Amino acid sequence: MKAPKNFEEGVARLQEILRQMQDESTTLDKSVKLYAEAAQLIAYCNTTLEQAKLQIEEIDAAMTKETAGE
Amino acid sequence: MAEYIRVSALNALARRVLDNCEPLNNLIICGEISNFTRHSKSGHLYFTLKDEQASVKTVMFRDKARLLGFAPQNGMLVLVYGRATLYERDGAFQVYAEYMRPFGAGAAQMAFDALRKKLESEGLFDPARKRPLPPMPAYIGVVTSKTGAALQDVRNVISRRWPLTRLLLAPVNVQGLEAEQSILDGIRALDADPRPELILVTRGGGSKEDLWVFNSERIARAVSKCRKPVVSAVGHEIDYTILDYVADLRAPTPSAAAEVCVPDMRQVRQNLFILGQNIQKNIQSRFQMCYNNLNALAPQRTLTAQKAALEERWQNLQELTASIRSASTSQLRQKGDTLVHAAVVAESLNPYGVLARGYAIIRDKNGRCRTVSQLKVGQTFTLQGHDAAARCTVDQVDHLSPEETDESTQEL
Repeated sequence: MKAPKNFEEGVARLQEILRQMQDESTTLDKSVKLYAEAAQLIAYCNTTLEQAKLQIEEIDAAMTKETAGE
Repeated sequence: MAEYIRVSALNALARRVLDNCEPLNNLIICGEISNFTRHSKSGHLYFTLKDEQASVKTVMFRDKARLLGFAPQNGMLVLVYGRATLYERDGAFQVYAEYMRPFGAGAAQMAFDALRKKLESEGLFDPARKRPLPPMPAYIGVVTSKTGAALQDVRNVISRRWPLTRLLLAPVNVQGLEAEQSILDGIRALDADPRPELILVTRGGGSKEDLWVFNSERIARAVSKCRKPVVSAVGHEIDYTILDYVADLRAPTPSAAAEVCVPDMRQVRQNLFILGQNIQKNIQSRFQMCYNNLNALAPQRTLTAQKAALEERWQNLQELTASIRSASTSQLRQKGDTLVHAAVVAESLNPYGVLARGYAIIRDKNGRCRTVSQLKVGQTFTLQGHDAAARCTVDQVDHLSPEETDESTQEL
């Protein structure tokens, strides 16, 4: 399984997994693999939420003023 | 030749006259601002004050302008405190403003309404222009004062609701004369930066003059040109600015703006939980379905298997029967052959058979077989042949030598 880039991608992948699992043409074998992946993704998402802490960065608007133009 | 003076002397003279005119040195002028410019290098303000009939050029130097509590705008009615005199170089009569303030809420409101109408007619407030906000922004650009309460509110709300996001702060002056340019720079810098997915322009509550800068036409136009969605939150619920109209979304307060910019963590957690449950339910029902199918097949499979087993055993039985039958037949035939053979051999050994060929058996009076050498002189015996028996009496017994025996045998 490829680790998701971020929380949002993790959730998107989970939604895709559910969609695939609901598709009747998905084999049982494939469903079991998807289920395993989903379990990991949910753990990842929960951990990400628990560990999140707001970060603040600053941009110097006056510095970029020259390039931004008037 | 008539007496003449140079232009510079004329202007110097006029200026001296004006400077000595006491009322001109301590003026309060009421007029509407137009042609407003702020010199980008010097920082001095140049504009024209006018009323219905007349106008006068006005300058306000940087050190005075810095103390202004509001951003002057074209169309704004103001009271200007200062003096009027001649600018000798140009021979221009102009006002040197020391201080000014907006004159009456009505006047400011008129300017505001005029600008709003103008921008609206250009389609800048068109609902079709409003862009949706990203549901889970990884980066939010914030244009506000670094020290203001607004930033604190935004931080608190986002920390609580969605700490996964990052804030990219463009610290600006939200008050005073520098504010307009500073806010413009902040918006443009954040729009140019690849990181933020939306831009939040905010400041906390204040007087109408404090918030006036957010009615700037330049800021409105900059926001309308932004590639990213812009959220505005200026002052309190009741304060509406031009920025609010042009922004993609207007929030009543900085806290409310922070709320609309990010999802609610509890809600997201709940959704994640439901998603996980759905996946769990799905795999369980899938398993159940597979078991059910298998169970439905089981009786039929047993029956088929039993039939096959039965068939096989029947086959075995058939084969076994056949082989037993053939084995017993061949054995019978073999035994029959043996019997026939034995019968032939037995027949050949039958002593009575020999009698037919002319041999005879000696029997004593009890019927027992005797050899010739056992016979005694005078004894009676029976000589049995093939089809007759003779009673005899022994006259003499001659024992023969082996050679004679052999000879007699050979002769026989």
